[in-house]
Amino acid sequence: MELVIKKKTKRRWLFMVMATVLAVAAYAFLILKHDPALVNLGERLWPASLEHPLGTDHLGRDVLTRLLLGAQLTVGYGLLSLFAAVIIGVPFGVIAGFKGGLIDRIFMRIADAFLAFPDTIVAIVLSGLLGPGIENLLLAIVLVKWVNYARLVRSTVITERGKDYVTAAKINGLRSFAIMRKHLFPHLIGNVLVLASLDLGKIILLISSLSYIGLGAQPPAPEWGAMLNDARPYFQSHMMLMIYPGLAIVFVVLLSNILGDYLRDAFDVKKEVES
Amino acid sequence: MSILSVRQLHIMGKQNHIVKNLSFDVHEGEWFALVGQSGSGKSMTAMAIGQLLAPNLQAKGEIWYGERNLLALSPSEIRKIRGKRLAYIFQDYQGSFTPFLTIGQHFDEYQKTHLSLSKKARRQQAVKALISVGLKEDIYSRYPFQLSGGQLQRVSISMALLLEPDILIADEPTTALDSVSSFKVLELLSRLQKETGCAVLFITHDLRHVKKYADRIAVMKDGAIMEIGDKDQVLNHPKHAYTNELIQSSPSLRRMPFKLEGVSG
Repeated sequence: MELVIKKKTKRRWLFMVMATVLAVAAYAFLILKHDPALVNLGERLWPASLEHPLGTDHLGRDVLTRLLLGAQLTVGYGLLSLFAAVIIGVPFGVIAGFKGGLIDRIFMRIADAFLAFPDTIVAIVLSGLLGPGIENLLLAIVLVKWVNYARLVRSTVITERGKDYVTAAKINGLRSFAIMRKHLFPHLIGNVLVLASLDLGKIILLISSLSYIGLGAQPPAPEWGAMLNDARPYFQSHMMLMIYPGLAIVFVVLLSNILGDYLRDAFDVKKEVES
Repeated sequence: MSILSVRQLHIMGKQNHIVKNLSFDVHEGEWFALVGQSGSGKSMTAMAIGQLLAPNLQAKGEIWYGERNLLALSPSEIRKIRGKRLAYIFQDYQGSFTPFLTIGQHFDEYQKTHLSLSKKARRQQAVKALISVGLKEDIYSRYPFQLSGGQLQRVSISMALLLEPDILIADEPTTALDSVSSFKVLELLSRLQKETGCAVLFITHDLRHVKKYADRIAVMKDGAIMEIGDKDQVLNHPKHAYTNELIQSSPSLRRMPFKLEGVSG
């Protein structure tokens, strides 16, 4: 009983924090009074004050404003590219796994080609080739990430399709598409969501690190990685400028990991019934 | 009057020839047992009847169900027969059910495919079927993993017989059960067979399962039928040495002092 309450509180906390972050990201423009891109050299590198709760950066821009809008950019871009990767990867995986044979082999050799290189390298090369800019970075991330979903889904489908219940569904008179949709797809949602929420953290890290080296978001966009880069020359005198965006990244990545763990437990039907 | 006639059935894999020139008849309303060691091609034969073989396996020959050759039917034609006229029960009771769907949802899907009943009527029919196999109504809303093996096999049977098929193919339905559950399941199957009058093609490796219920027995080895005939004839006067070996190796059927000579495989 005690455990149940604990679990419920944990869940409530998790969702509250998650909702707050998303709300801040979505509605930041309502509570802000500063222009995130307005350069004011007279106010550069100010310490924290009532007007600027987290101070100003090297161009006199309000750090809090940029941090909050950065949540919108970073988390938003992360979710966007994740969504695209899932939308592409899942159907690929289901079809490859269920049909097998030649289709499977072709799909998976394509996937292997992407998997042969580390994510970061491929993303750097692609966005380097396509030119710096957030759109190209997102494209690169989608190209790198969909493979994971295709692989995950394919392996699940392959283990499941050999089981008798798939044969039983076939005997019941269901067509391949209906079997995939009704009997295999629900298996995948859980796995995909867990991987996706864990991946969100990785993608945010990737976006931030590539923005940090100048391949992603371009100035004056208040992306967290770009903010880290902006603050680098002032690290010794004004280290808080680097710590704020750094903490923001850590927080969101951590949150996405906790969410992933939570979802993994939540999608376990057996656990739900036992407790 | 035979309801299912298998004629010169061959099943080929890429490298191996799994079933060789198999021919047998299943008569209307009888309990026909296909007995053999694992790997003898029994299950493959069962799968071939419903066009359920994996794509890398190929079936040649003829399987006549009435006027139709099941092996030559198009996917949409076989779909109308499979499930409705030709039902299956499997060995792996846990794997026969989609883990995240309740028993009721399994029934529902089956009924929706083949019948046009209201939601209420579907539930009534399903509950009636569950009760007829000795289960309680609350099973309807349970998940497969909440039931025991014996219960799940009963659900399988009730679902397979729901549409009163002509043939029920039972692929080692009791092999994974303990002896008491398996006895109960066999008794149930035998009672329901008498009630519905469907033919049962019962696949097993264990002659003990066959002794009491089967009308006719076919003994299979390495993809070919060694001996086929009435139960008494096969069990008491086996013509083939392999049948004799099988009988000798079945403890409760042993007639002579135990003598096991060169049982291969």
